[in-house]
Amino acid sequence: MAGISVEFSRVGKRFGARPVLAAVSGTLRPGEVLVVAGPNGAGKSTLLNILAGVLRPSRGAVSYRRGDVDVPRRDWFENLGMASPDMAVYDELSALENLRFFGRLRGHAVADATLGGLLETLGLPAREHHRPVGTYSSGMKQRVKLAQAALHAPAVLLLDEPSSNLDAAGHEAVAALVARFRPHAAVAVATNDPREIAWGDARLDLAL
Amino acid sequence: MTDTRVRTALHWLLGAWMALVIAAAFFWAPAAAGFKGESSRIVFFHVPQAWVAVLAFCVNLVASLRYLRTRNPLDDARAAAAARLGLIFSLLATVTGSIFANVMWNSFWNWDPREVSIAILLLVYAAYFALREAVPDEERRASLAAAYAILAFVTMPFLVFVVPRIYWSLHPDTIIGATGKLKLQMESRMLQTLFGSLVGFTGLFFWLYTLDVRLARVRLARREREEE
Amino acid sequence: MRASTLLSESLAVLGKELISELRSRVALNAIGLFGVTTLIVVAYQIGPYQIQEQDRPHLLSALLWIILFFAATSGLSRVFVKEEDAHTAKALRLAARPLAVFAGKYLFNLILLIALFTLIVPLYCALMGYAVRGVAGLVLVLAAGAVALAATATIVAAIIARASGSTTLFAILSVPLVLPLLVMLIQGTRAAAASAELAAVVPALQGVVSLGGAVLTVSVYLFPVVWHD
Repeated sequence: MAGISVEFSRVGKRFGARPVLAAVSGTLRPGEVLVVAGPNGAGKSTLLNILAGVLRPSRGAVSYRRGDVDVPRRDWFENLGMASPDMAVYDELSALENLRFFGRLRGHAVADATLGGLLETLGLPAREHHRPVGTYSSGMKQRVKLAQAALHAPAVLLLDEPSSNLDAAGHEAVAALVARFRPHAAVAVATNDPREIAWGDARLDLAL
Repeated sequence: MTDTRVRTALHWLLGAWMALVIAAAFFWAPAAAGFKGESSRIVFFHVPQAWVAVLAFCVNLVASLRYLRTRNPLDDARAAAAARLGLIFSLLATVTGSIFANVMWNSFWNWDPREVSIAILLLVYAAYFALREAVPDEERRASLAAAYAILAFVTMPFLVFVVPRIYWSLHPDTIIGATGKLKLQMESRMLQTLFGSLVGFTGLFFWLYTLDVRLARVRLARREREEE
Repeated sequence: MRASTLLSESLAVLGKELISELRSRVALNAIGLFGVTTLIVVAYQIGPYQIQEQDRPHLLSALLWIILFFAATSGLSRVFVKEEDAHTAKALRLAARPLAVFAGKYLFNLILLIALFTLIVPLYCALMGYAVRGVAGLVLVLAAGAVALAATATIVAAIIARASGSTTLFAILSVPLVLPLLVMLIQGTRAAAASAELAAVVPALQGVVSLGGAVLTVSVYLFPVVWHD
């Protein structure tokens, strides 16, 4: 299956009278990591939400293309994995139950062993997998969130501040995840962390 | 600019027409028999107001459906403009109806089915604006408001057609009777005044509506320029 | 294209709701406590003997639905509001089809309402001395009422969750939509109480079922818009 590229042209967003993102254009290509950098409030998260299709831009357009074929909007989400600070998984469910739930929704009947393995590569030891996520530290929650994004091996991976709340080992785990997706997927990372900026094959700077 | 000239002419015509309707309502049409004193004259204002409130509801529905298809902010502005006028006119219809009820039956509010219907229409309009106020994001506000308008439109027929028939009503018969045939036993001068007023109020609605939409169009165009 | 079916996705959402609810019990507690409290206040202050015989059919059916409706209002909006409050909505939005989300949440609200009705209605009949001649008729009216109320509550909950998420807004938006429904349900309950004939509740059932059906049908079209924008 050919990878998916995400093209965006002159997308902008305004909340009420306040512009939060002004006409940016670019492309996410399979096999490439696009780093979106810029100061807080420059619209990094807004841009990622618009690329994901969970936020409607005030202007401009986004398209997903597989080769030369346009991917219809209703098929975007199944090709997409995302983790961002404004996302959370369910506090009442354990890490494994959360992943099982998202797996079922996406139609990936993944074995518990595989899900557990994914959590462990992200640095969440097996003894923690059955506790409710509500009892986790913020770093552990971040790892479950990343597992949720990577679970179905999406063709487009959008990571908003993926190392936030994580220690050095956690940062390494994220770097390994990005390295694993890089060959075939289109990856976008919104960050200010110089270590993460270094991952980029391409870079988009947003200004205030 | 012939467009402006036509608009000016229409707007003068509307003014003259409304003046004529008001004069006719008080001096030309006779007071109806069976009503206290001159109280029946309020019908020339009350019925057209209720009609405009319902018309605005329909215009709002069409604009809302269009918005969901086109995603054009102007269609959202159209829906909001229609709802604003609908709110004003359903308020006017409720007040004039209530004044009439007080003159005829010595009570401002009787829980008459038609009173309940217009009050609920008023509540729907109020809810529509409460919802708009609660959403800062313009694109989301437009979609949610459109969805609510469509939902309200679907439930309204049950209110107007299911609920009132079960009750007994004090309200004078509507112009179109339950059989669907026009009831023309109204005195002909009264009927002419009423229809004249319906036309006048419909014109008034579309004049105010167009003003609001033109204003929204100018605002959108200005913002567009600022962002270039 | 998608490996999962709509049914399995809907059931996954319903199952998630049930597990979360059994572990936190927020909605069940809110609805149950509210229902029982108002029921006790009504039964204690009004009781079976304070109402004149000729007023009983009107008042008893209206009081019952006031208790049921307000108890339901306290909990039904949570299905969507909690997803926005806990920031879990985005992950769900990305993973599930909108229709599956709506179906799962609708079924969950329906189960909550049925639980509420099963708890409150027998207690109410006992405490208020409400003699219902047509029990089968009453059950039908309650069932139709649950189907229709759950439909309105679920779509309005979806709307307010994307706005401010306040229960005040939920009440403001749902009251005009629910009023005709409540009037029909009160009439149906009165008819069931007065007559053992099933035919007595048919007019009310027709109204309630068609209103519920209409709301469900438009919700299927409106929900994706509300959920995604």
